[in-house]
Amino acid sequence: MAKNIYLLGIFILIAIAGFLLLKGEASKSIDVQGNTLPGEVQKVTLGTKDYNYYPNTIKVEAGKPVSITLDKSVTGCLRSFIIKDLGVSKYARDPSQTIDFTPAKKGTFRFSCSMGMGYGTIIVE
Amino acid sequence: MSFKDFIKSLNNDKVEGELVKTIFVSLATSFVLIGILYLLRLRYIENFIPKYGFYLFFAVLSYSLILLSVKHVRAYKEFPCMSGMMIGMTIGMVSGFLPGFFIASTNGMFWGSFVGMSMGILFGAWNGKCCGIMGVIEGMMAGFMGGLMGGMTAIMMLNDNLKAAGVVVFIVSGFILLGLNYMIYTETREMERKHKDDEFFTIFWSFLLTAITLLFMVFGPRSLLFQ
Repeated sequence: MAKNIYLLGIFILIAIAGFLLLKGEASKSIDVQGNTLPGEVQKVTLGTKDYNYYPNTIKVEAGKPVSITLDKSVTGCLRSFIIKDLGVSKYARDPSQTIDFTPAKKGTFRFSCSMGMGYGTIIVE
Repeated sequence: MSFKDFIKSLNNDKVEGELVKTIFVSLATSFVLIGILYLLRLRYIENFIPKYGFYLFFAVLSYSLILLSVKHVRAYKEFPCMSGMMIGMTIGMVSGFLPGFFIASTNGMFWGSFVGMSMGILFGAWNGKCCGIMGVIEGMMAGFMGGLMGGMTAIMMLNDNLKAAGVVVFIVSGFILLGLNYMIYTETREMERKHKDDEFFTIFWSFLLTAITLLFMVFGPRSLLFQ
């Protein structure tokens, strides 16, 4: 009998506390498109926001060199930048070290950090 | 001594009969503390509930399960070597992993791991003591590993399903602790109860753990990623 009363108490406590503490908004994944500076070399600067690359969608032209800079806000494993489908993989220790490559093929590819924690999309047109 | 007997024993007048009450007292203490602090101070913090509510809720649920196991172990004090090592390892690992996971979700890997390791080593060594130095070492090792793993897992899930992972690790840990309590039940049928903790024990530890978690999450130091 006592056990049932306590079980009921536990259920009520969890229900009330759960209702009050879990009513927050769920985090949303939003695609933010970034500007690529045109020119001889297409320059892209990525930062971080909500624990991910920001912007997390970038557009570049095929056949022209791309230079990606990870700014100071990018920390930890997010500094290890990978575009698997384009064969790009580099650890940029600080913003002076850029990730340079020339996308040879058109398409939409995923980029990420080496651990897959931060990610985004690169559209090669 | 089937699992069914164990469930039935939750209604007896021995230590097993106090376990459900321990969960209730622990949850009541923690939620009352959060409620009071919320009315006095926390409600003025922007986005307090969306930012910390989920992790705080599951941290409090975790503490109630950990304290229940601690109380169960303390009631019998001494165990054979193998059981004691399993007790030290399970409690150390779970009490390191869960706080590590939930605090790392709001404060970053370093601080999550730091708190997780501290709690894991403390509880692991304390409970592993029931079988001597082997249990203590096993508990410390498991606490150290659990704390680090909890912090690391949370950070790796940040852009994945972090909250869903929180629910999953809580449920898995809950079942592991249930298994541990069943093991303690089967191992102690021939033993006499050697120690009786009153409810102050549960209230004190629930208060302390919830206060540390709350203060750490809201006012504690953070990794660069969370600033």
